[in-house]
Amino acid sequence: MPSLEIRDLFVALAATPDKPIVKGLNLTIRTGEVHAIMGPNGTGKSTLSKAISGHPDYVITSGDVILDGKSILEMEPDERARAGLFLAFQYPSEIPGVSIANFLRAAVQARLAEGEELDATAYYKRLYSKMDMLKIDRKFTSRSVNEGFSGGEKKRCEILQMAMLEPTFALMDETDSGLDIDALRIVAEGVEAMRGDKLGVLLITHYQRLLDYIVPDFVHVMYDGRIVKSGDKTLALELEAKGYDWVKQELAAATA
Amino acid sequence: MKPPTDLLAEPGLDAPTHETTAVENPTVGIDQSAGDFTYDVKYEFDAGNGLNENVIRYISSVKKEADWILDFRLKAYQTFLAKPMPTHWATKDLENIDFNKIRYYLSQGTKPKRTWDEVPDDIKKTFERLGIPEQERKFLAGVEAQFDSEAAYSNVKDIVAKQGVIFCNSTEALREHPELFKKWFGKVIPTGDNKFSALNSAVFSGGSFIYVPKGVKVAMPLQAYFRINAENFGQFERTLIIADEGAEVTYMEGCTAPKFSTSTLHSAVVELVALKGAKIQYITVQNWANNVFNLVTKRAIAMEDAEVKWIDCNIGSRLTMKYPGVILKGRRARGEVISIALANDGQHQDTGAKMIHAADDTTSVIVAKSISVGQGRSTYRGVVHIPKHLKGCKNNTECDALLINTNSRTDTYPAIVVRGDTHAVQHEASVSKVSEDMIFYMQQRGLTEAQAMSLAVNGFVNDLVRQFPMEYSVELKRLIDLEMEGSVG
Amino acid sequence: MSASPLSTTPAEGLSSAHFATHLSRSAALPAWWLDAKKAAWNQFTALPLPSRTDETWRFSDLKGLDLTGFGLPEAAPQATPKHAAFPQSAELVFANGQATRGPVPADLAGRGVIFAPLEEALREHGDLVRSYFQKHPANLGSEKFVALNTALTATGAFLYVPADVEVALPFVVQHTLTGQNVAAFPHTLVVLGPRAKATLVEFFVSGGAASERQLVSGVNDLHAAEGAQLTYVGAQHWSRQTLAFQVNSIAAGRDARVLSLNLHLGGRQARHESHSRLLGPGAHSEMLALTVADGDREFDQRTLQTHVAPHTTSNLLYKNALLDTAKTIFSGLIIVEPDAQKTDAYQKNRNLMLSDEAEAHSLPGLEIQANDVKCSHGSTSARIDAEQEFYLQARGIAPAAARRLLVTAFFEEVLNKLENEDVHAALTALIASRFQA
Repeated sequence: MPSLEIRDLFVALAATPDKPIVKGLNLTIRTGEVHAIMGPNGTGKSTLSKAISGHPDYVITSGDVILDGKSILEMEPDERARAGLFLAFQYPSEIPGVSIANFLRAAVQARLAEGEELDATAYYKRLYSKMDMLKIDRKFTSRSVNEGFSGGEKKRCEILQMAMLEPTFALMDETDSGLDIDALRIVAEGVEAMRGDKLGVLLITHYQRLLDYIVPDFVHVMYDGRIVKSGDKTLALELEAKGYDWVKQELAAATA
Repeated sequence: MKPPTDLLAEPGLDAPTHETTAVENPTVGIDQSAGDFTYDVKYEFDAGNGLNENVIRYISSVKKEADWILDFRLKAYQTFLAKPMPTHWATKDLENIDFNKIRYYLSQGTKPKRTWDEVPDDIKKTFERLGIPEQERKFLAGVEAQFDSEAAYSNVKDIVAKQGVIFCNSTEALREHPELFKKWFGKVIPTGDNKFSALNSAVFSGGSFIYVPKGVKVAMPLQAYFRINAENFGQFERTLIIADEGAEVTYMEGCTAPKFSTSTLHSAVVELVALKGAKIQYITVQNWANNVFNLVTKRAIAMEDAEVKWIDCNIGSRLTMKYPGVILKGRRARGEVISIALANDGQHQDTGAKMIHAADDTTSVIVAKSISVGQGRSTYRGVVHIPKHLKGCKNNTECDALLINTNSRTDTYPAIVVRGDTHAVQHEASVSKVSEDMIFYMQQRGLTEAQAMSLAVNGFVNDLVRQFPMEYSVELKRLIDLEMEGSVG
Repeated sequence: MSASPLSTTPAEGLSSAHFATHLSRSAALPAWWLDAKKAAWNQFTALPLPSRTDETWRFSDLKGLDLTGFGLPEAAPQATPKHAAFPQSAELVFANGQATRGPVPADLAGRGVIFAPLEEALREHGDLVRSYFQKHPANLGSEKFVALNTALTATGAFLYVPADVEVALPFVVQHTLTGQNVAAFPHTLVVLGPRAKATLVEFFVSGGAASERQLVSGVNDLHAAEGAQLTYVGAQHWSRQTLAFQVNSIAAGRDARVLSLNLHLGGRQARHESHSRLLGPGAHSEMLALTVADGDREFDQRTLQTHVAPHTTSNLLYKNALLDTAKTIFSGLIIVEPDAQKTDAYQKNRNLMLSDEAEAHSLPGLEIQANDVKCSHGSTSARIDAEQEFYLQARGIAPAAARRLLVTAFFEEVLNKLENEDVHAALTALIASRFQA
């Protein structure tokens, strides 16, 4: 079974490599599983997802990330993506002048073997069926990627890309931020529809409300660059009820 | 204040001169011969190197021209000698043109001896990737002296002739239809407009002359492919298009394949005349070899209710200087310039537009986008002139520049003159780069960095490319992809 | 610089005799200063007047650059401030070059603040003045007139605020010029040390009849060291027949913020050049100007924003209201040097066309040599919004009053950038008085 293994990972900003943000994080995700990482702001959650996907602003100072038994640290961001890693961005970039249809087409084409041409008819058929599944209007695909999109539209566009690119592992970075309940429900339904033994998901979130719609198999609490507590979905509820201070106090008591 | 006629008479596209240091030759250190593609060719007619009155007489006699044309040429030659280089505002690279080393007239009479097998592989590959049709490839590569346009484009000339349209080369037009063309020949762009228009007036050959009669709407775009079988590549081509009242015509010149040329100077003059209610659309896509100075004067005059639209795409060349203009002479006339420029290593695209409002309620639009890659430099110069007692004129100008690498450079020098309180003039320009976040986003979707860059650049010009005819826009996109290769990293 | 023979002026008017007189009056000043003056005089006489092919004078009325007949003014009676009073740290008033000064408050003087007439500063703080004097030479076209200023200046203010000193109330300078065919050469030098904060407001007015023909060539150089915050306001209301040049340079160091606002109300032909240099990361220059152009006046404004260091920002907003047969020229350029990555520069010229005969020229330019930048410029020339005008008239406001109101509103966007409300009010009053005249 494919797995994404994060081993004793240390991450810092490329500009300040001596100040780690993620400090020795361990986590293994298998396909079929949904993991949620929760934690207060500034604890390194977004840094983790960006570093795994190879963002040039971050540097992995030690540790490893293993995808299907192979380290991905030497791979370019696009190679990691084609190897099956998908990052749903907290703040997706705008790409003026490039339509969603053309963008996705280029991304799907990039996954074909050299010399193999995309079957345009089949592509559009698949694209439209995914859009129907996510209740996205057909006109949407002729708009430029994320340009002038509302927060909800951006997130829906991320989910549509995820559906089209069929990753093995999806890292969802604060996917719920800036969404109203309706948008949140649509996004969650999309993820739920894709859920299954071919996909592993890592949800990164500050709030518990997303977990009302996507019920995780595992919940991890991240604090000061590390996972300090793991459990099942009840942990999320407990956090919601008691707040993060509870974890901090527990942690302080344990180290004291 | 210069009177407006004065402004018409010279490019006037002056830029501030506090250009920091003496302008260096931007091509220093770049192997200009790389990628050039030339053959020794035996020409039946060859005026030899350099320019003097005998050369001009030779050209005129080969073309069997009327005396008035020879006089026109000789006078123009004197103007050319008298005019200074516009280097007080333009790049000093112009001073590197050696007028004595240029051949001013060549014409092939015999079939060339080379074969397709002799054409270098990378050139063949370029043609293939651009999707250039088989017949054109051979012509462009110089394997065929004559391009079989009859087969490729059917009998365009005959079809439009049925509507009364005259479509022929300049030599033929001035010989066969002097009454039609003489009236406007050299009128929109006077010989002395600038040094290079004078040069063209002295040595012109090739180019298209088109007359569209009153009310005739030409359905198919007329192509410049058509005329390049008549002369060798138009080095000093001269084009004049007259759309009579209510007539409509679209003209396309150039092609996206690199033009492999032995000549290092291309200096065309293009004049458009849109009479009352007429519409002319002129589309250029050019991709010159990077040793070519491409110094072109293009201007239109638009009478009452007429519309002129220049769509201009400049890729390649060592230095391109081109500012298509429209003189809005009649009420409610409308002028538009859509321009795309891509400057790669060792290239300088100095392009823009001139809008001279000379009647009430006239409207002009300029949209210019430039991309600077590697050591490329792009410059926008524009003139918007509403100087007299006019009413209700409008101009909207947008120029956007995209910078790809650290050594790229971009400049914007618009000049706007507005007199009176009934006009609306707006100019906006921006400079930006492809952001790292945007590239990362696309990489995260599985595109390589180069693919991501190419997509971003195509997106940047996409709204303009859409205005090109289908086959051109497809080629243009491929061409941009080709140009972007190796620009990353 | 050795004492070289003095050249004579080619034209009648300011002659080497004027210069010799001026020099003899300055004899007590430091030798370097006198040498600089001699060199400048020679430069002035050697440099030609601007010509038609001169790009930096494109569209300017070159015939108007007539320097003949001008001489140095006689001493004038003490002048009183002509602007509305407002709370200030200290004020310097120059009447035909004669200085009247208010005292610098003891607490400021005690902390090392210097606010003095230029010649006094030359005598008492010569080395300090010398290290900043013309550190960044003018290069936007008026080099000849700057040389004239250096050669003949005797008036002007020197403001020095040492490191970490913040002065809340503005320093004020007024220059008044009275007489027919007289010339003035104000020279302002402002130096803010690291993290210092200060505001200088300068008024330039003609004291006599509106018909007096005058020549002014002024220079003001502003230096803001690391983290300093400088606000400079210059308001000119020269006589109807004045030919005026004002050349301004701004140098902003690391994290320094300079705001300069120039108000142009008077003169027959007034040229203003302003060059901001962003020299240290984090530096910011806010360049603002307002012009009321009426009659057949010409206002000629040339600007340059040079981004030398990375992570620098600049923002220019020049607004002109054009009436009658007035003419304005705005020629601005942003230069981003190769090392100035992450520059964010903006430049906007807005012309409000209030007459069918008025003429606006706009040449906004960009020269970008770094790639990771955000730069844009814009230029608009348009009339007052007809709907707005009608709305005011429908409320019973007469057309002239409605226009005045809308012009005021047009200027308000710029004036609102001033932190000091008293200065804001003083400028509003000046603009209003301009409309009443």
